[in-house]
Amino acid sequence: MTAPATAGGSGPSRAGVSPGRTVSPRVNTDDPVEQAKAAIEYCFEQGWTDGLPVVPATRADIEACLATTDHPADEIIGSQPHLDRSVTVAQAAANAIMAGCKPEYFPVVLAAWRAVTQERSSRGAWQSTSGPAPLIVVNGPVRARLGINYAGGVFGPGFRANATIARAIGLIVRNGYGVRPQELEQATQGLPGRWSVCFGENEEMSPWEPLSAVGGVAAGTDAVSAMLIRTVEYVDNRSTDSAEAVLHDFADTLARMGAYVGGPHSSGGLVLGPEHAQLLGNAGYSRADVQDWLFSRAVRDPADMVAAGKGEHAGDGPFRMLPSAAAIPIIVAGAANAAMSMVFRPFGWAAWAGRSVPVEWKEQ
Amino acid sequence: MFETIIDPTVGPAESVECGRPTLATRPEHLTGLRLGLLANTKRNAEQFLADVGRELAGQYGIVPVVAVKKPNIVETAPAELMAQLTEQCDIVVAGVGDCGSCSASAVADGILLEQAGIPAAVIISDAFTVSANAMADLRNAPGYAYVTTPHPVANLTDQGVQARAAEAVPAIVALLTEPVMATAASA
Repeated sequence: MTAPATAGGSGPSRAGVSPGRTVSPRVNTDDPVEQAKAAIEYCFEQGWTDGLPVVPATRADIEACLATTDHPADEIIGSQPHLDRSVTVAQAAANAIMAGCKPEYFPVVLAAWRAVTQERSSRGAWQSTSGPAPLIVVNGPVRARLGINYAGGVFGPGFRANATIARAIGLIVRNGYGVRPQELEQATQGLPGRWSVCFGENEEMSPWEPLSAVGGVAAGTDAVSAMLIRTVEYVDNRSTDSAEAVLHDFADTLARMGAYVGGPHSSGGLVLGPEHAQLLGNAGYSRADVQDWLFSRAVRDPADMVAAGKGEHAGDGPFRMLPSAAAIPIIVAGAANAAMSMVFRPFGWAAWAGRSVPVEWKEQ
Repeated sequence: MFETIIDPTVGPAESVECGRPTLATRPEHLTGLRLGLLANTKRNAEQFLADVGRELAGQYGIVPVVAVKKPNIVETAPAELMAQLTEQCDIVVAGVGDCGSCSASAVADGILLEQAGIPAAVIISDAFTVSANAMADLRNAPGYAYVTTPHPVANLTDQGVQARAAEAVPAIVALLTEPVMATAASA
């Protein structure tokens, strides 16, 4: 029996343990490395991991996380009433440590958790056949302070804060809500990068205000924005200096029929590489201009929709694939070393709630 | 030797284990009973249940007195729909659990109805028995019996749904009338 995450909590351990689990081998060595490996193996045996090793969390780790926030250990930060599960701050801390977070990342983990769970589409996302991933975007000075990558290779890997903050969200879902693959989680295929997509916005190279300002938090404030996505797909266009040509290329990918799952429209957003962002900015496009352009041009011929067996809502005129101009999130991230960007696909029809979450640091 | 490792699955201290749910007593036959249909928003779910209702009407002379659609595929039916079903119906057919979250929540609906004394037959597509069973375990009802239909349901034509509903009826009738072994009965 191991310790509960919440102080004083003596509730039964109801999830995460597979029947017939093996018993951890006794470690007949004083070698601390062998002992550490045995502790990691123990965590695998409990069913607590996502398939990769975790860092075993101790009471001292939880205290270190709690020291970074004003939120009390037993505060409930998420619930899945239909699963009869709730998650506490202390439990989030345990999973953050297990994911590999440093305690000082914890306020960002809490903000990311709130940003993810306030998305309406997150309610059934963890059990969905679509198997969506949180896309977590960090703005503000915290990026530099914690080493959250916003330049080369933002989709990873290679940066501890990026990798572990995203992974913490996944472990909270697994261990806190008890949603595990091929059980309550029914992802048909999932996607590469589930629980690993977290990056800073490259505010320094963006021609526009930070995404968090779009989300209602003043520029310069530490904030997290999140949405659930089904995939990302690249648009590589280093062939032109025309803003409209690049926009045309984006619109083509955004209008791809495979991403349309029926209903009134598809969904899509952009993580612009800095070169594309600056090409658009220098040509006089605001973020809203880009959104308007893409909304009006990301369309399909109804005949194409019918040919793909997806004509139920097609109508007569060009079918707009995106819900509205404002519901095309535009983010700037990556290195200015090649003109490429990513289209991403928000899960469901809701796109993004459009509310960024300020990171709450402990009152000094 | 790892007593100091925190268990990350332990939630709020106040959460308590609920006991095994008691399933409703089965009627001997369906004739004259008031039927309720509880659909979800998945494609073809309402039609599937309506077709089941028609089959039952033809065979037993009973018609649905309540046919409702719950608004959210993830969560159990809201209290007002549950009240409507439990107050106005003697038996309920629910479904179709044809996705990751709705298969689980359909089972949860069924168990809630049983606890309220209403025999329920939940229809699950056979690709989602794992999540249906996981929900049954979560609700302390391992082995909870439901009716399966081949996956997929969403892409069936009207005739396809009708045929599938007709195929499911004998199992639905059996589930609603044959004595259940506490919660350990299996389909």
